[in-house]
Amino acid sequence: MHKRENSSHLIPFIIGGVILYFLSGMVDELRVYQGASIAVYVVAISSIILLTGYSGQVSLGNGALMAVGAYAAAVSHISWHLPIVVCFFIAVIAAALGGALLGAAAARLSGPYLAGTTLALAIGLPSLANQFSILGGEQGLLFDVGFPPLSLGEEFTQYKWFFWIAALATLIMMWLLQNILRSRYGRTWRAGRGNEVAAQLSGINTARSKILAFTLSAGLAGLAGAMLSMTIGTVSPSAFPLALSFSLLTGAVLSGVTTLSGVMIGAVTLVAIPEVADVVAHNLGTSESVTTNLPGLMVSALLILTVLFVPNGPVEQHRARTAKKLAAQSNK
Amino acid sequence: MIQLLNTVLIGITAGGIYSLMAISMVLVWRSTRVINFAQAGMALLSTYFGYEAMVRLDSFWIALPVAMLGGALFAALIEVVFMRLLVKHSSSGPIASVAPIIATLGLLGVIRAVVSMIWGAQDVRIVGPLSNDGFSVGGETLVFSPLKLLILISVMVLMLLLSLLFQKTNIGLALRASAYAPEIARLSGVKVDLVRTMGWALAGAAGAVAGMFQTVNGNGNLSPDSIEFSLLLVSGFIAAVIGGLESLVGAVIGGLLLGILISFVLMYISSALFFIAPFLILLVVLFIRPQGIIGAKAGRRA
Repeated sequence: MHKRENSSHLIPFIIGGVILYFLSGMVDELRVYQGASIAVYVVAISSIILLTGYSGQVSLGNGALMAVGAYAAAVSHISWHLPIVVCFFIAVIAAALGGALLGAAAARLSGPYLAGTTLALAIGLPSLANQFSILGGEQGLLFDVGFPPLSLGEEFTQYKWFFWIAALATLIMMWLLQNILRSRYGRTWRAGRGNEVAAQLSGINTARSKILAFTLSAGLAGLAGAMLSMTIGTVSPSAFPLALSFSLLTGAVLSGVTTLSGVMIGAVTLVAIPEVADVVAHNLGTSESVTTNLPGLMVSALLILTVLFVPNGPVEQHRARTAKKLAAQSNK
Repeated sequence: MIQLLNTVLIGITAGGIYSLMAISMVLVWRSTRVINFAQAGMALLSTYFGYEAMVRLDSFWIALPVAMLGGALFAALIEVVFMRLLVKHSSSGPIASVAPIIATLGLLGVIRAVVSMIWGAQDVRIVGPLSNDGFSVGGETLVFSPLKLLILISVMVLMLLLSLLFQKTNIGLALRASAYAPEIARLSGVKVDLVRTMGWALAGAAGAVAGMFQTVNGNGNLSPDSIEFSLLLVSGFIAAVIGGLESLVGAVIGGLLLGILISFVLMYISSALFFIAPFLILLVVLFIRPQGIIGAKAGRRA
C-alpha cells in the first residue's frame, strides 16, 4: 500500500493541543468561553462539510441531530450518572443512529428534495421534545458536567474546564475525521460527488456510501450538540432553532465546503458575528428590533455573498489563484 | 360523523392555502429550475405589504391586490438582481448543484431579519373580509365558515386562471417553452430572461395570497417569527412534491391531499404531531411515489 497515505498526521494535532493548553491560561474568561463555542462550531461545521462538500448533499437537519445528541447526553447523565466521556459517546451514537435512518431516506433523494425534507425535520423535531416529560418540555433539562477536579487548582474556572473538555473532544474528532477523509471512504465520497454514474461504474455502492456519510456526519453533529449543551448548561428545544442550521450552513460555506482546512474561518466568524453586531448596533444607536436581528441578518447576508462571490470558500479560492499565478510564472 | 366532516373541512381549507404556496413553488421551478426556499419569506413580506395597505385603507379587498402586486414586484426584483447573479457566478464548480438551494435559504434568512427589523417582533393584526364563524347545518355548527369558503373559491379561481394563462395564451406558451428548452425558445425569438422574471412575479403574487389567507384563517395575528410561515414553507414544498413539481393541477391536488392528511393525523392520532406530521407524510410520499402523484416518470434525482 501507499506508505505516505498511512501516516496519520498525529503530530500537528498534538502541537495544536499544547498551544491551546497554554493559550487557555493566558486569556480572560469571555475568550475562554468563546473558545469553547468555537470548538462546538468546528465540530458542527465539519459535520456539514463532510456531508455537503464530500458527498454532495445539502442537509438542514444537522441542528435537529445536534438536539438528538444533546438530549441523549443529558438524559444518560441524569438517569444513570454516567461519566461525561461516556455521555459524549452516547450522544455520538444516538445521533449517528438517527443519521443512519435519515441517510437511508436521503440516499433516494438529492438536491432540493433532500434540503426540503431535512428542513421539515429541522422545524418538526425540536418541538417533539415538548411531548415527552423525560425530556423536560419547553424548560428542557439541566446538563451539568460538574466542577473541574480540585487537582487542577483553586484558580481553575468552570469555563476553562468546559474549554478543555470541548477542545480535547474536538481535536480527537478532527484527527479521526481527517484520517477517515484520507482513507478509501473519503475517496469514495469524492468520487460520488464528482460523478455518481462514473463512481457506480467503478464498483462503488453510492447509496451505501451516502448513508455512511450521513451517519458519520450525524455522529459529529451529536457530539457538537452535547458540547453545546455542556457550555450553556441546559438542553431545551429553543437551543436548536432553525436559525442554528442556517448558521452552520453559513459557517460551512464560509469555510469552503470542499475542504476541512478552512473550518476555523467559519467557526471563528460565527462566534465573532454577535460581538461585531453588538459593536455596530451600539455605534449606530439602532432601535431594539434592529439590534436583535442584526446577527441573523449578518449570518444570512454572509451566506449569500459567499455563495455568489467565493462559492468554493476563501481557502480554495486562494489555492486556485496561487496555482494560476505559479502556472503563469513557469510559462514565462 | 360531524367530527369526520369537520376534519375534512379543516383539512381542505388549510390544504387550499398549501396549494397556493405549492403553486408559487411550481411556478418558480418551471421557470428557472430552482426550488425557492425563500418563498415563505417572500410571502411574509407581501403579507406585511397587505397589512400596511389595510392600516391605511381599512379594506381587505384593497389590501389583497396590494399584497399581490407587492409580492410580484419583489419576486421579479429578486429574479433580476439576485438569481441572474447567482447563475453567472456559481453555475460551475463543485457546489454548483447546491448553490441555488443555499442561496435561496440565505435569502429567506435576510428577508426574515429585515422584516423583523422593520415591523418588530410585535404581532400585528389583519382582519378577514368575512366571518370565520362556522355555518350551522341542522343545529350542528360546522367549522366551515364563509371565510374558509372564500379561501377555497379563490384557490380554485387562481388555479384556473393560471392554467388558462399557461395553456391558452402566447405568454403561457413562452413560459412553457423557456422552461423545457431555453435555448430553442431563445432561437425562436422568446425573450427567455423576461419570461423567467414573469414566472417569478406570478409566483410572488400567488405566495402573497397564501400569506394573506394563512394569516386571516389563523387568529389574524402576523409576526415575523410566526411558526405558521415556517410551516407554510414546508407544507408548500411538500404539496409541490406530492403534486410532482411540474403541474399546477398537481400542486393543488397535492396541497388539498396534504391538508386533509395532516388534519386527520391531528384529529385521530395525536395533536402533538402538529410539527412533525408534514415531515412524516413527506417521507412516506418519497418512499412510495418519489415521482409525485401526478409527476414526470423520472425519479427525484435531477
